[in-house]
Amino acid sequence: MIDTRRSDRVDDLLTSYFRPGETPSALLSRVVRAARATDAELVALEKRLSIEVTPRGVSLIREAPLARPATAAARRLEERAREELVEYFQGKRAFFSVPVDLSETPEFQRRVLDVARTIPFGEARRYAWIAEQIGHPRAVRAVGTALGRNPVPIIVPCHRVWRTDGGLGGYLFGLPYKRRLLELERSTPVLEGCTSTRIVCRVGCIHGRHMRPDNRVVFASVDDARSVGYRPCKVCKPSAAA
Amino acid sequence: METDDRALMRRVARRDDAAFAEVVGRYGGRLLAVAGRLLSSRADAEDAVQRTLLHCFAGAASYRPEWAVSTWLYRILTNICMDELRRRVTRATHDPELPLELTPRDGREPGDDVDLRRALERVPREARVLLALRYVNGLSYGELARVRGISVNTVKSQLARGKALLRAELGKRGVLR
Repeated sequence: MIDTRRSDRVDDLLTSYFRPGETPSALLSRVVRAARATDAELVALEKRLSIEVTPRGVSLIREAPLARPATAAARRLEERAREELVEYFQGKRAFFSVPVDLSETPEFQRRVLDVARTIPFGEARRYAWIAEQIGHPRAVRAVGTALGRNPVPIIVPCHRVWRTDGGLGGYLFGLPYKRRLLELERSTPVLEGCTSTRIVCRVGCIHGRHMRPDNRVVFASVDDARSVGYRPCKVCKPSAAA
Repeated sequence: METDDRALMRRVARRDDAAFAEVVGRYGGRLLAVAGRLLSSRADAEDAVQRTLLHCFAGAASYRPEWAVSTWLYRILTNICMDELRRRVTRATHDPELPLELTPRDGREPGDDVDLRRALERVPREARVLLALRYVNGLSYGELARVRGISVNTVKSQLARGKALLRAELGKRGVLR
């Protein structure tokens, strides 16, 4: 309890400011309803995905069956991509570390996809923004087409690009999934610290994998984490990401 | 109340709706007060509380009784609020037209104090979250340390620094004489 003997004007102001209100009953019924709804759809999508890899990285992700990896190295790469996708769909990964191979992609499309990859996790940009970034502000439609043919969806986040009027645009796996992916990203934190090691990582870092749920603390920035005694992880380098 | 709370969580883990309603009734208002003051938006606060309660419902089986239920809920809530605050910063740096603390407020709320709200926005996030938890629920230094995974000394220094900043800000606005 707050020591009232030492309370002052600031204490009084804060106490009245933070006085709790009533719980709206609508909130309760909404929560109960949402708790009943399961999020099996996204998991189902993940299971339908096939991944094609080259020695340089993931080159294709589609719902149709794709060529099986030819070498042991390729198989390992495919497994790694699969693992990262599973974690992503479970809300346990906020970045992909598996390499992507866009070398077979035409120049214009590759530039579009490279810009799309810079859009932060959980955020959305407009088609026109990408067009400006690549120096072709009027090529909005071409940008849309280039994203629509994204060979590596999800890992190259074309789902984070929407129409200027706020409309969804299109999506390879269907529009409902585009919205669902952004919702998923909105509810997945990006920076988490471990209360026992006092290290802050990007969510999905190998160090976080064995962290107990009770030990997870989310931070808004690496500087915030530093200010309360956490240090950034040397493996996932969260400062570079945030 | 304490043991009662833990028994309640065991029932929630067995998917007992009445027990869950009881948890929501007991903590919903306080969670909403913390989230509302941290996020300065009724809609975002309700969203954060809803996600916290969902997590409570879905994760009740992983709740461990060495946690006080309130502390456990505040950990979940502040994790969600911190991520929301992070998103606002990246959004704001990308789109300079948006104000920094940007979600529009849906009208004035009872108890809202514009001067205090603006002053609080100047306080670093980690200190702000500790102030909110302390003043909504009178959490002890130990509980605050547990919620944010920091040492008690850090809690004390953050609170002191936050209050000093508040005092200076409010002084500038002529609220304190």
